Amino acid sequence: MANPSLEVVDVAVEFSGLRALNGVSLTLSPGEIVGLIGPNGSGKTTMINAITGQVPLAGGRVMIGNKQISGLTPREVALQGLSRSFQIVRLFNNMAVLDNVEAAALAHGSSLRAARAKALTLLDGFNLSHRADDLGGSLSYGDKRRVEIARALAADPAFLLLDEPAAGMNEAETEALLHILAALPRSRGLGLLIIDHDMSLIMRLCDRLHVLAFGKTIAEGRAEDVRKNPAVIEAYLGSEAIRA
Amino acid sequence: MLRHLLTIAILAGLVLLLVAGVEALGVRVFDRIATNLCISLVLVLGLQIFMGNSGILSFAHIGFMGVGAYTSALLTIPAQMKGMALPDLYAVLQGVQLPPYAAMVVGGLVAAAVAAVLSYPLMRLSDAAAVITSFALLVVLHTIMTNWSNVTNGPRTLFGVPRATDLPMAAIAAILAVITALAFKESRTGRLLRASRDDEIAAGALGVHTAQLRWRSFVLAAFVAGIGGALWGHFITSFSPNAFYLRETFVILGMLVIGGANTVTGAVIGTFLVTGAFEGLRAIEGALNSARIFSEQVIGITEVVLALAMIAVLILRPGGLFPTREIGALLARKFAKRKHVS
Repeated sequence: MANPSLEVVDVAVEFSGLRALNGVSLTLSPGEIVGLIGPNGSGKTTMINAITGQVPLAGGRVMIGNKQISGLTPREVALQGLSRSFQIVRLFNNMAVLDNVEAAALAHGSSLRAARAKALTLLDGFNLSHRADDLGGSLSYGDKRRVEIARALAADPAFLLLDEPAAGMNEAETEALLHILAALPRSRGLGLLIIDHDMSLIMRLCDRLHVLAFGKTIAEGRAEDVRKNPAVIEAYLGSEAIRA
Repeated sequence: MLRHLLTIAILAGLVLLLVAGVEALGVRVFDRIATNLCISLVLVLGLQIFMGNSGILSFAHIGFMGVGAYTSALLTIPAQMKGMALPDLYAVLQGVQLPPYAAMVVGGLVAAAVAAVLSYPLMRLSDAAAVITSFALLVVLHTIMTNWSNVTNGPRTLFGVPRATDLPMAAIAAILAVITALAFKESRTGRLLRASRDDEIAAGALGVHTAQLRWRSFVLAAFVAGIGGALWGHFITSFSPNAFYLRETFVILGMLVIGGANTVTGAVIGTFLVTGAFEGLRAIEGALNSARIFSEQVIGITEVVLALAMIAVLILRPGGLFPTREIGALLARKFAKRKHVS
């Protein structure tokens, strides 16, 4: 596959003098799933915000192949093929679920008719067809999360960045989500970066893990290697990982 | 698609019903009220195009109504009257005399052009900053209208505008405004703009260029406002800059907010309700004054009641009477549910 990778090189982010990210590098290739994990406050969400242009960089750069995307506005980054979800769901609450998903396709140049067809297919895939005409704001938390992911996919992204997609879902919902997410890299050829605190989800889903603590990378590599890494166990996973 | 057609049919039907009723009664006062209502519809729907889809409160709208009214007046006042009505008019414009219909369209276009230039840098602003600048824009437009004596006759009344607007014409304009507002709302621009209204950050992360979409809707809104102003000018035939200032802004905003700014249905229903209430209260006020129940004249009931109605709606139903769905969609959903149950 000739599609370029997403390269995060030595990125730093500062919030009023505090280093939230300090020289983090990460690669996300098309067709793979990478888990971004770490304790609370380690900089995971900031990492996604830095990649998508929501926060300015204090150092480093973000590239897709040879093209630099750091320094672009979030809108321009989105048009380069990056879609994201938010840690606190951001749906268009006064619009129908169907309109929510269509908006992403429209923003990327689909015709009204093509956007409608794409949105219907995606909602069907997420088992949300029966809510298509309901307002975004009227959904349950788990449904909102799924609509947000469907909306992100309607943009046909090359890279999808999900910030805690399973938060607020029950076990059955999480299981269903796992199957949908696991199929994405192959069916759409996209690279998936996922943050979540559900370790069983992360371990079953991800090819590679990237572990942050205090804004720095403390480990990266194959999932089974990372979870045996003593630094990771000490900093983050603790006794829970040994039990798992 | 069907539900949009249903919405148009119902809202246009309301306007047609009004016209038919008034024509059947044949009372001149009702004819005046109905024509004013149709012109208000054009203005409120114009405001809905910007405010409803972008979610930004705009005070500038009535300023563009003034631009349309003055432009159309300038182009239609008969040449022999211009010397009297506008003694300082530029020589180029002295001989110009267009038919009112053409002049009204030009009025809309000039309002849109003015809006396009003035608003371009403002559309990046959100929330309070956007509201304050739109208010400043209204003040600027008003100041220009009051002081540019060459074309507006200054703060004095401009007279001699030919009468051209009648009820059928105002009704047709109102129906066209309904269709324009709905078509814009369902267009690509309208849909993405509504996405940015609900969540600007999420829309940006999808690739929506919010500032540009806002600008488009602002220009279209100004075009409709300009047409509305021109219609009004050719109905009232003499006016001064004060007609396009705070009082009118307040009334038009009140109609939209009470009905529900997010929907075209809300804009139409709000206009009907507020106009009805206004005329009713005005009649009561007149009756009280002629009966001399109070020693002083009773004035301002209409404004007080509109203000109270706005406060009540904002507290009880913050989104207005029709906060999210158009009437056609509401009926279609109700029908679908009933079929589902049986």
